Amino acid sequence: MSTLIADTAPPLLLSARGLVKTYGRGAAPAVAGVDLDIGERMFTTLLGPSGCGKTTILRMIAGFETADAGTISLDGVPLKGVPPERRPVNTVFQSYALFPHLTVFENVAFSLRLLSAVTNLEGRVKRALDAVHMADFGERYPHQLSGGQQQRVAVARAIVAEPRLLLLDEPLSALDRRMRAHLQVELKDLQRRLGIAFVYVTHDQEEAFALSDVVVVMNKGRIAQTADPRTIYSRPADSFVADFIGGATLVDGTVSAAGNGRASIATAIGPVDAPAVEGLAAGERAVLVIRPEALSLVPTGTGLPASVVHAVYQGERTMVEAVAQGVALRFADHAPPEVGETIGLSLDRERCFVTRIAA
Amino acid sequence: MTARLPALGRAHLALPVALLVGLGCLAPLAVLVIFSVFEVEDFELVPAFSGRAWAELFTTPSYWVLIGRALFYGAMTALLTGLAGYPVALALARLPAAWKGVAVVVLLTPLYTGEIVRIYAWRIVLGAEGLVNAVLEAVGLIDDPLKVLLFSPLTIGLVLLYNNLPFMVLAIWVSAEMVDRRLIEAARDLGARPISAFARVTFPLTLPGLAAGVFAVFALAAGEMLTPSLLGGTYGATAMAIIDNLFGTAFDWPLASALALALLVALFVAAVGLASLLLQTRGARAVLQRGRT
Repeated sequence: MSTLIADTAPPLLLSARGLVKTYGRGAAPAVAGVDLDIGERMFTTLLGPSGCGKTTILRMIAGFETADAGTISLDGVPLKGVPPERRPVNTVFQSYALFPHLTVFENVAFSLRLLSAVTNLEGRVKRALDAVHMADFGERYPHQLSGGQQQRVAVARAIVAEPRLLLLDEPLSALDRRMRAHLQVELKDLQRRLGIAFVYVTHDQEEAFALSDVVVVMNKGRIAQTADPRTIYSRPADSFVADFIGGATLVDGTVSAAGNGRASIATAIGPVDAPAVEGLAAGERAVLVIRPEALSLVPTGTGLPASVVHAVYQGERTMVEAVAQGVALRFADHAPPEVGETIGLSLDRERCFVTRIAA
Repeated sequence: MTARLPALGRAHLALPVALLVGLGCLAPLAVLVIFSVFEVEDFELVPAFSGRAWAELFTTPSYWVLIGRALFYGAMTALLTGLAGYPVALALARLPAAWKGVAVVVLLTPLYTGEIVRIYAWRIVLGAEGLVNAVLEAVGLIDDPLKVLLFSPLTIGLVLLYNNLPFMVLAIWVSAEMVDRRLIEAARDLGARPISAFARVTFPLTLPGLAAGVFAVFALAAGEMLTPSLLGGTYGATAMAIIDNLFGTAFDWPLASALALALLVALFVAAVGLASLLLQTRGARAVLQRGRT
């Protein structure tokens, strides 16, 4: 499934090296040394909690912020000193930032009207509006549109001039869950059809996984891991990534042996031998990442004894939290045990992962 | 309450104040209308109907010149303060938050000094022995004091601009604060150079502030009496001064009332016309509709 990444790397579009940005003297840097490569036609997502520096990177690419150190080049051309209006990059803003005094048509036509020689302006605006299913709304004003419709217009406005790179700053965060899911599909579809590289910023792990070819997980101004979604999920580079992606139980332990992509780790629930991140050494502190799907119920008295502390009904399944040896383990089951019950758990160690403790 | 007044919503909460303002505005007007058709006998107002005051007003060209001059002063001041105030207001809106309070106080300080004090200060600055002439002579740019600085139309224009600038700046500033900075960024992102982003986004969206400023400054400047009469020399006769004179010295209350009403109507029509012209624009409409979505 991850053929796009693994087999042939796409031609490089944007390359950032050693980016640093600090706001205010004495403050911790918002971006603390970031290298980033964006391939042509790739959907790249910067994922991380608020304040991790992902939006700052987007704003540096757009030209709204100047890096304290480091370089950004697009198509091999350094962008230093190039103002936003002269970068072949367009942005979909978090708040959409539609011009309230202009109709939908004029909002979309904005960038074309600034060009000296544009042929077929009307046709190009219509096509952009068509691409986001807003062709019938050209005469409306932004305040006459729903949030989802405004979001679509913001996308149409940003793609009409055919930028080399489209930046999207949490574009779906203001929408309700259903609209968000719907627009995720549309955005992904649009990106495939246009073949424009997207750089997408979000704090929503599910959204990042659903959309992206490449996910860049960020933590405190640094990149924690860059990989395709499957790798991020199954082989998190450190405990921060594993924790941020969510759902997993992280159990501290000491590595007793490591090599050949595996490690043995001694933990509170016993020794486990599992796939591991590269470069671990015996004696090192590390974490065992236990995904919900690595755990299954076995008859009481066999497996790892645990007592059920929570059971959260989620429709098709129930998320269960059970404590074994002082470690809270989460898993899903169709026929969940009662809270307070003692159960037996089996651990599929091939679906676990041993990774380093994040700095 | 809200159920019975669905169309008004919570607007009915403003009714008491609206009534008070309405009464306070309409009652004196009604008095003016009544006085304007009374007669004066032996320096006493007699409640007998007479069209004498209105007839005199309509047949005396000099009154119309005075009303025209008031409109001109108002329009000129609105224009000058608009031009001078716009960049100041935008700069104010872009100051760091901590400096805004300081800047507003500095901006408003001249208003605290009182009109008479300010006018005599201007006389000292602009007079034949004044600061400006002294400096120009010392530098050697002129040999004799510039007479045009004081008691000329230039003086009136300058001082009306100075007196009314704070109101214009405040009005535009409030409007400029409400323009989302992300809209400017969006314009830049879409290819607009700074000047173009201003023309296409900032300016249209600050027109309501400009309209409010024009409305206020126009009325204030057109109604000015002291500044023109104390600094304008022979150009300083204003409708306001004549009305004052008619009410006080001449005791012709009917004519004073008629002139005051005529001036009021002329100013109101002109100011509403100017302001609504600005409010008809797309930018102003977009801002004013924002609360209704």
